[in-house]
Amino acid sequence: MPRPGAVIEVDRNTPPVLFHFGEGIRLEKMPLGSRIVYPPDPLEPIAHPERAIKRALAKPLEDDPLKSLLRKGMKLTIAFDDLSLPLPPMAAPDVRQLVMEEVIDMAAEAGIDDLHIIAALGLHRRMTDDELRHIVGDRIFSTFHPDRLYQHDGEDPENNVYVGKTSAGEEVTLNRRAAESDLVIYVNLTLVPMDGGHKSMSTGLATYRGIRAHHNVKTLLGSRSYMNPPDSALHHSCIRQGQLIEDTVRVFHIETTVNNHAFPAIANFMQKRETDWTANDQAMFLATKQMTDIAPPAFKRNVFHAMRAPYGLTAVNAGQVDAVHDKTLDAVNKQIAVRVEGQTDIVTIGVPYLGPYNVNAPMNPVLVVCMGAGYLFNFYRSKPVLRKGGVLILTHPCRYEFDAVQHPSYIDFYDEVLADTKDPGEIEKRYELRFAEDPWFRQLYRKSHAYHGAHPFYAWYWAAHAMEHAGDIILVGGDREVVHRLGFKCATTLEDAFEMAEQTVGRYPSVTHLRTPPIMLCEVE
Amino acid sequence: MPWYSADPVTRAASAALSTLDDVAHVRRGWRWGNPRPHTWPEQGAVVPPPPTDLGWARAEPVRSIRWLIQRTLLLPFTEAMVHPKVEGREWVRELKRPVIFAANHSSHADTSLILHSLTDSARDRTVVAAAADYWFKRPLLGNIVSLFLNTFPFSRTGGAQAQLHSSSQLLKSGWNLVLFPEGSRSLDGRIQEFKPGVGFLAKETGTPVVPMHIQGAFQVMPRHQQVPLPGPIRVRIGKPMSPAKAEGSRDFTARVEKAVRDLSAKEKQSDLQGTWIERWRASRPRDLRYES
Repeated sequence: MPRPGAVIEVDRNTPPVLFHFGEGIRLEKMPLGSRIVYPPDPLEPIAHPERAIKRALAKPLEDDPLKSLLRKGMKLTIAFDDLSLPLPPMAAPDVRQLVMEEVIDMAAEAGIDDLHIIAALGLHRRMTDDELRHIVGDRIFSTFHPDRLYQHDGEDPENNVYVGKTSAGEEVTLNRRAAESDLVIYVNLTLVPMDGGHKSMSTGLATYRGIRAHHNVKTLLGSRSYMNPPDSALHHSCIRQGQLIEDTVRVFHIETTVNNHAFPAIANFMQKRETDWTANDQAMFLATKQMTDIAPPAFKRNVFHAMRAPYGLTAVNAGQVDAVHDKTLDAVNKQIAVRVEGQTDIVTIGVPYLGPYNVNAPMNPVLVVCMGAGYLFNFYRSKPVLRKGGVLILTHPCRYEFDAVQHPSYIDFYDEVLADTKDPGEIEKRYELRFAEDPWFRQLYRKSHAYHGAHPFYAWYWAAHAMEHAGDIILVGGDREVVHRLGFKCATTLEDAFEMAEQTVGRYPSVTHLRTPPIMLCEVE
Repeated sequence: MPWYSADPVTRAASAALSTLDDVAHVRRGWRWGNPRPHTWPEQGAVVPPPPTDLGWARAEPVRSIRWLIQRTLLLPFTEAMVHPKVEGREWVRELKRPVIFAANHSSHADTSLILHSLTDSARDRTVVAAAADYWFKRPLLGNIVSLFLNTFPFSRTGGAQAQLHSSSQLLKSGWNLVLFPEGSRSLDGRIQEFKPGVGFLAKETGTPVVPMHIQGAFQVMPRHQQVPLPGPIRVRIGKPMSPAKAEGSRDFTARVEKAVRDLSAKEKQSDLQGTWIERWRASRPRDLRYES
């Protein structure tokens, strides 16, 4: 029986705790009396995923069996989530591949000629052929690519349609192929509660015009947090858009969840609690630490990004979107929820090498903010672990390092926008539209492998809530100049950071360390 | 005294003396240094060595060595140089019986590209017909090429029967066969007329032909160029074709030629490459049944 998440109070016997430090790791001794929050152990995966998928398609929730929806002569579109999740990418076969193979088998049996498969990118970058092949598998790739398996283009004026406006005035756009299909089957992989449900269609197959309706400062500040859909303005907006889409086109949702077995055997020590480490784990830690200390960044990056997570399928549900997503959220929460008593003055988090937007690329400074103060801070339900006005301490080398192919607009955002102001509201008002409509960024998004011009803005907005909530944000180990450009404070060591934090929260503060990844969701009481 | 009645030492001595006698006899029998007497008839053509299918190249441990060479040298080199884009690999993923791969030929790089585009299981059971009068003129070169690419000498000048014999033996033994029906590399990159051998072989052995088209190889390594250059390559594999009962071998060859030419078109040809449903079914993994 997998153990639930745990909160350990640090005493003299507590071993030092692992901090992720970008493409590196550290062991840090936490102050006596502080708390360490550990995620639950990985749930047992479903033993026969193919059978579970078949069963879900045959007995969907509040919908007819998929087989009965398929008929010869129909226009069928399958859409699926891109490589921004799961993180790290899943060891082959990806669960999306398994689901799609079942669906395609059924479509072949029904004799459906007109079948297209679309990667629902939203405003994310186009995947390379190898990345696409990794998600869908060799068989689907070689049968359908490139004319029937392709990636959504949110800037293609010909192939997107305007669907309408929601009751709250949000504009809704959709990929033309999906809008004109008799049936769209959306294959989703939900890793965190933010994903899936109506958000899949309303962001994955939309354009900038549709996405900006909820990816904005006001909505994100009104999402407490966006990892908890009932309290998230972002999700309320997505639901309104999604309902309009469901009125336009028939959508059959298939959602899958995986456990949090995020690290392969060689990095087992990252998965385990330090209290469970064996001599083997200590040796692996030392070897990895030495390697990451001395190896050149490009080498370390290649090693880390080559890691594939042995995730196991924990649930697969199909049918009507709301019924499916409720089940999905139950399965996700069962895996990642941890009960934490009360808030603290200081929260420490190690920012890892990988976030949703830097697969096969370095994590640039803007993405460090997005990951640390955006995603990791927001993994809570009801209220943040950090008290209002407390200090958030992140560890990451945070260098001036950008991938010019994937993140061209991030470079300009950092150099031009952040040099001017750090205020998300101000940034949105003065700069977002110019970047979003920049013809060069648009060209790179459409034809190269670049994120959309507006994407660095969204990455910054994700952190807006943390910036507003925290009294101070301190980055340990970062490049001083870069950290100051981000508007944060810089510390050399964790001890220094605690000293600096005392100026904000007073002496003898309460401290909590969130030992993530693997991912967890703190239910703060 | 009969030889078998002697003791072993006597027999050995006797055999050794006999050998010495023979050597001396032969040595004296031919006078190589003397000019050829004019009364002798003109010296005839040297008797050609008996044809070989280079069976050693398809036996262990040579197969394992080739497997290693291909995976560590040939395929990575091909991938690094041209990163070929392969379409229609599903048609060769689960081959149930041997096939003939018939491709256009414009470059020495064609063979590597074809092998690269096949699946591992198909590649390991594939032999390449190499021109006997070109590759096997020098035995050392022929053997090295055989070791690398699993080639066998294919006569371009002999009769159909001679071609049929060696090739059909290989097909019957379960080997796929790569043939370049044009006979030689194109001079200008355009597809030349196909020789009837491929149709004849397919018809006689009842083997399906998989049409293939290689685009870009002429730019990468045309005739008279010794070193390949990087460049974009597309290898398109068509649906296997079988000769109809009433179809003559020349007609079938013409059909294969048309298929290869059509594969060179920009758009996908669903009649040649199959509908997605056909391709999907062709790539269905073979059911593995384990004895309990």
